[in-house]
Amino acid sequence: MKSWRKSVIVLLVSALMLALVLSGCTDSPASTSPTPAQTTEASKSPEASKAPAGGGGQPAQLTDFKDSPFLAGKGLPAVKDRLPSDYKFTNEIPESQMKYEIGSYGGVLRTVTSAPNWDADVFVMNNEPLLNTPGILGDTITGNVLKDYTVSDDQKTFSFTMRKGLKWSDGKPVTTDDVKFTVEDILNNPELTPIFPVWLRGGGEADAAPMKLEVIDDMNFKLVFDRPYGGILIRLAIQGWRGYTELIRPAHYLKQFHKKYTTMDKLEPLIKEAGFQPGEWFNLFNDKDITNWELANKKAVGFPVLYPWIMAKTTESVTTFERNPYYFKVDAAGNQLPYIDRIQSTLVQDIEIVGLKTISGEVDFSRESAALIKMPLYRENEKNGYKALLANMHVTPTDIFLNQSFDDANWQKVVQDVRFRKALSLALNRKEIIDTVYYGFAKPGSIEDATFDLAGANKLLDDMGLKKGADGKRLGPDGKVFTIPFEVGAQAPDIVPLTQLIVEMWKQLGLNVTMKTIDQTLWTTRGTNNELQATMIWTHTPLWYMGDWGTQRWGTQWDLWRTTGGKQGKEPPADVKNLYKMINDAAAAKPEDAKKKVAEIKQIMKDNVYYFIPISEVKQPLIVNAKLHNIPNDTSFAIGANFSGEQFFFGK
Amino acid sequence: MLNYISYRVLQLIPLLIAISIIVFVIIQLPPGDFLTQYIAQMKLAGTEVSESTVITLQQEYGLDKSLIFQYIIWMKNILIHGDLGRSFQWNQPVADVIGPRLALTVIISLICLVFVWVIAIPIGIYSATHQYSVLDYVFTFIGFIGLAMPGFLIALIIVYFIFAQTGVSITGLFSPEFVDAPWNMAKVMNMLPRLIIPVVVIGMSGTASLIRVTRGMLLDELSKQYVITARAKGVPEGKLLFKYPVRLAINPLISTIGWTLPALISGEAIVSIVLNLQTTGPMLLKALMFQDIYLTGSFLLILSVMTVIGTLLSDILLAFVDPRIRFGGVGE
Repeated sequence: MKSWRKSVIVLLVSALMLALVLSGCTDSPASTSPTPAQTTEASKSPEASKAPAGGGGQPAQLTDFKDSPFLAGKGLPAVKDRLPSDYKFTNEIPESQMKYEIGSYGGVLRTVTSAPNWDADVFVMNNEPLLNTPGILGDTITGNVLKDYTVSDDQKTFSFTMRKGLKWSDGKPVTTDDVKFTVEDILNNPELTPIFPVWLRGGGEADAAPMKLEVIDDMNFKLVFDRPYGGILIRLAIQGWRGYTELIRPAHYLKQFHKKYTTMDKLEPLIKEAGFQPGEWFNLFNDKDITNWELANKKAVGFPVLYPWIMAKTTESVTTFERNPYYFKVDAAGNQLPYIDRIQSTLVQDIEIVGLKTISGEVDFSRESAALIKMPLYRENEKNGYKALLANMHVTPTDIFLNQSFDDANWQKVVQDVRFRKALSLALNRKEIIDTVYYGFAKPGSIEDATFDLAGANKLLDDMGLKKGADGKRLGPDGKVFTIPFEVGAQAPDIVPLTQLIVEMWKQLGLNVTMKTIDQTLWTTRGTNNELQATMIWTHTPLWYMGDWGTQRWGTQWDLWRTTGGKQGKEPPADVKNLYKMINDAAAAKPEDAKKKVAEIKQIMKDNVYYFIPISEVKQPLIVNAKLHNIPNDTSFAIGANFSGEQFFFGK
Repeated sequence: MLNYISYRVLQLIPLLIAISIIVFVIIQLPPGDFLTQYIAQMKLAGTEVSESTVITLQQEYGLDKSLIFQYIIWMKNILIHGDLGRSFQWNQPVADVIGPRLALTVIISLICLVFVWVIAIPIGIYSATHQYSVLDYVFTFIGFIGLAMPGFLIALIIVYFIFAQTGVSITGLFSPEFVDAPWNMAKVMNMLPRLIIPVVVIGMSGTASLIRVTRGMLLDELSKQYVITARAKGVPEGKLLFKYPVRLAINPLISTIGWTLPALISGEAIVSIVLNLQTTGPMLLKALMFQDIYLTGSFLLILSVMTVIGTLLSDILLAFVDPRIRFGGVGE
């Protein structure tokens, strides 16, 4: 009996160990992160620069409106009275990317997500920005939730007109009262907004004054900045996936949770019910206030919105969105959008299950979780009722970063030398990368020199004085073997294989290159703490207005110096400071000037190779039900197609 | 006996407090917290997160407070209001997150348990009484495969074959039209056939080990004097077998209740992920990865309580079943 007990203990302990080991191995299921974009990308940066056309771009006045039979018998006012008189004629995708078909109503669009309270495909489909840029290209900026805008000559005053008759999903009107409430009672309330957002200060710079709001009447308001800030338009339109909630929130609903409008006596029971400590009304308010990136959150049921679909019901595994009867967009025939009545978002345990559901035809739309690496599998099973299309990605696939501010004098001396970076760039065989990792569906990066020249690279390193030791490995200035230690997370499926390939390529130069795959949480923390020396991740470089230029990763301490106004971090060298200034200027400039400035930044990138952007124009698979119409062609961004979801309809 | 039980129950209180502290500290040990991860991923997606948002989120989730304060509030709410705290990831009270999954987990685990017992005990008895027979070798062989092959791998293979052969994806316990439906007879009937795969997969390794344990225990007993004596005295073989040796051989079933109870509610995490079952296992795994402190903390605490209670139960039962057991340290 005793020996048996012992064996039970041994068993128990080993079971425990196993459980610990399993729960510690966060590697693969970490792909179930609660966020978006595993997407990578590519796309040409939009070259055309047209003047921003203000206004909603409406055709001749429509007089006859139709709506979905889904809404019949629900006791709603007539569609004409639900639509704003300033309705928006839909223009989500430029004509060159899609031939618009007038659709028919009905159907349920099924999506799948692996993160609770988040469905990237639903988020992008539902999100409504204040202004719009068709195809998310940033070439033209038109009205969206806001009807129209004008800009003063000095680029400091921006006047906006709201849509007359626009209503929240509960039927209440949307007016400048909502803007006033958002700016005065949320943005300017230090309890709710401890730091006034930098992007709403003059020029988008931290040391400028906060914007001022001037309400003219029910339908018109102005934003006034102390510095020229043409870049605010693209920021309102798409940059950072901001939604209308940045400036317009349902005041009539939120006032019941705001101290200024409701007495604390009434708030205390609500605070207690929500599980906060007594007096923490700001926590209650933040909990009830659903911003655009929380739109798939369970608590969004019943919150007034302006999206095409509103959250109707949510269970442990399925969240259902239903059409918003007050949605403000119509097609050219006067049909109220969206065409599809419902979205059903299913939560699964793991991202791989998304793939399985996709190939068995249980998914009608999938962008976020679709991976190029699975394209053969998708194509093979197309008989199950879907199409696997290839569109463009809005981020670079994966860029390589060497942290030039990593705290090691020897490392800094080598990595801050532009010859070293040029040599490493010359040693990247871009064709091999494209063929092995991307099946040929990509092009060499256009920002940096794409030449492959091992001899030239070796010569540069020799010139720098990085001599080879006895074992053929190059030594650093301190006489020890110089090592480039890659630490990567598996945020996208191409990161690990691509890193492996690059490790081999750089070894050809006699460099000691190692790699380690680490947990994404650890990766994030190490990155923030300036502990990563070499890593790989995507950036939004293809979107000219979102180019962050990876500054946080190739000069972590320098970037900290920049974002804290010199209070923390280390002061960067003059050339980097100049780059920062150009990035800031581009962000503040009006779109047509900004694009010129972005071109100049690219030239600086090319000369200095601050980080490596080896590949561009990677294709992104888009899984759509074979009957789905109004899907843009392959010259569009996949995420742009996703964004125009209210135009999709099921054909026969 | 009563003394013994109350003494054991009193012992549990400091033990549970210690467990809760350890659990809370361990979850907090990895660098960063839920928000770091959350914000980093929003940034990677191209969504800009302002300093202000970070601060308000910290306030909302209580992450701006000290570790000790967070622990005290958590314990206070559990003890006074029975409130386990709020899950960051799901933005719901922990009880609401765990509750619905628990029922399903218990159903699956219970069926598995019965499945394992029903299959393993007769086979174990047969193998022991027919040692080195052909069937003994066959069962042993199959048993070792079940033991050696991880459940998730078996699950993967089954899922693959069913998809390749029929085009049906076995994901979840319900077909799409029932996922969202309220519980009724049709939903149960829809679930039952889909239960077969998880039950077989999860039960397989348990079956294998139980066969080996039963076989070994029974072999030990069968060679003992009392069995030989009884046989010599002409007790019929069947009666001889079931009267004493088998009763003793299934003793492990009772003494393992201590870990059966927590196993009932924890679910097989990896298998559940592969088969996309809405059980508690995958939820716990994900919560651990995202440092969802109150969800993981509460769940681990519940598991610990179950283990402790289970051990208590098996001690009491063993004392009843096996007179040889003594109450260590406590006078009768």
